[in-house]
Amino acid sequence: MDLTAIPFFNDLVTLFKPALFNIYFALASIPFGFPFAILLALAKTSSKRWLRWPAEVFIYAFRGSPLFIQFFMFYSLMLSFNQTLWKPLGVSEFVLHPLFIGPIVLVLNTSAYAAEIFYGALRSIPKGEIEAARATGMNTWQEFWVVKWPNMLRLAWPAYTNEVVFLFHATALVYFTLPVIDEQKDLMNKASELFKQDYALFVHFSAAAVYFLIISMLIFWVSSLFYKYLTRHLNTNRSIKLKPNYLR
Amino acid sequence: MIVMLPEWLTPLLSEQTVKLLEYLTNGKHLAWYASFRYTVIAAVAGGLLAVVFGLLGASLKQSKWAPLRWIGNIYTTMVRGIPDVLFLLFFPLAFEQFVEWMWAYQSCTPEERAMATGWPLCDNAQWLLSSTEYLILACFSFGIVYGAFAANVIYGAMRAVPKGQLEAAHAFGFSSSQVFWHFQVRQMWVYALPGLSNVWLSLIKATSLLSLLQIVDIVQWAGRLGAPNYLPMAGLVHPDWRWKYYFVLFLLYILMTYLSERFFAYLQKRASRGMVRAS
Repeated sequence: MDLTAIPFFNDLVTLFKPALFNIYFALASIPFGFPFAILLALAKTSSKRWLRWPAEVFIYAFRGSPLFIQFFMFYSLMLSFNQTLWKPLGVSEFVLHPLFIGPIVLVLNTSAYAAEIFYGALRSIPKGEIEAARATGMNTWQEFWVVKWPNMLRLAWPAYTNEVVFLFHATALVYFTLPVIDEQKDLMNKASELFKQDYALFVHFSAAAVYFLIISMLIFWVSSLFYKYLTRHLNTNRSIKLKPNYLR
Repeated sequence: MIVMLPEWLTPLLSEQTVKLLEYLTNGKHLAWYASFRYTVIAAVAGGLLAVVFGLLGASLKQSKWAPLRWIGNIYTTMVRGIPDVLFLLFFPLAFEQFVEWMWAYQSCTPEERAMATGWPLCDNAQWLLSSTEYLILACFSFGIVYGAFAANVIYGAMRAVPKGQLEAAHAFGFSSSQVFWHFQVRQMWVYALPGLSNVWLSLIKATSLLSLLQIVDIVQWAGRLGAPNYLPMAGLVHPDWRWKYYFVLFLLYILMTYLSERFFAYLQKRASRGMVRAS
């Protein structure tokens, strides 16, 4: 059978490169979003008001407003510095590039959501373990690495996986808000473009949906392997399952 | 605008403040404020439809007949692996094409249909949507997508209703549908409220996407108003102010989130009157 005769398979081939853009945006955001979220969560649990308060405001603001607006706001803010800052420095090409701005906004957004997850995990660490750490004379740094960090990671992992999937879905918004440069298009963008050519809605959109679906499932799968590793010391007879939430 | 200010106030304001007030109440800005209605309509109608679709999806999931259960499960799981923006764009376009396809059988000749390579199949079967029609389609789109989220919440809540109460209703001789509607659905709201609150917060944030559905909403207007404004008569009115306008929207959405949270907290308090709560 000739697969190239089927429009759906043609689409899967065409959409492969655009899918890489979505993957790039997600992969570029996670390494920065993850540590930033943990710092925010730690700041939110801090007893010092000047640390706690900014973290709370940041998390509330970025969880309470749409990513779509955040993209527009951040991009136009960067644009307004173009004449005074970026151009004299000669970096406007780079700084205003979607491949640079996109991950920044995604990091701000995802770290707010993830910080709330880690904050919840930090609060549900068994009190006894923290007290034990203090009783054995650990300093704050040791207490974090020995008790808080492993507990937090294990407790937050299923919810964090869910957040990573939502982050990947959120990458669909990048090119709706930022300028598209040449052939640098992501899944939604390319699918809409193909749709405008021949109006075959079902074919193009379901091909894009298949990419999102497969990559989301891959994320869940890889993450469940890591979760198994995290919980290897817990003698649970039942197979450990990730129970992703439906909502962000 | 200035006419509307009380007389004693005008001398107190500096000239700049008056100018700013004039600027903020010119025709375009009034149109911007008025376009907020699209957001509100889409959120409220979309939210109500989401509850309807949610109830439908949850009862499908609970159905005794396996194929219905499969449909319910597919409906509620599809939103998990695919971004909502894809569905939001897909449903209005799909409905539009479906209508045009139906029309094509009425108003196109068979030759035209056979010859057609693109879309629409013939000129008569083209539906040019007005913004009201786009708004209705957008509401349904929100309803379907967020209905899938709501269905999950409602399904869970329905199962949280104590079994004994339903058995008691059965024992009193209520029919199965009566038990479902008058006991299970009525009792589940308390359990569903926290989840529905989350769905509503996501829905509000999704209303910012209305501009993707050809509706000139607050986001679209903010972009237009903020763009560098040059008038031949007055010179440069203002440079690129877009980030200021988007910042206002940013704050507006945070305010809407805050108010919604307060409202749902109130609802929750009211709905759980007389319930025994584990403290």
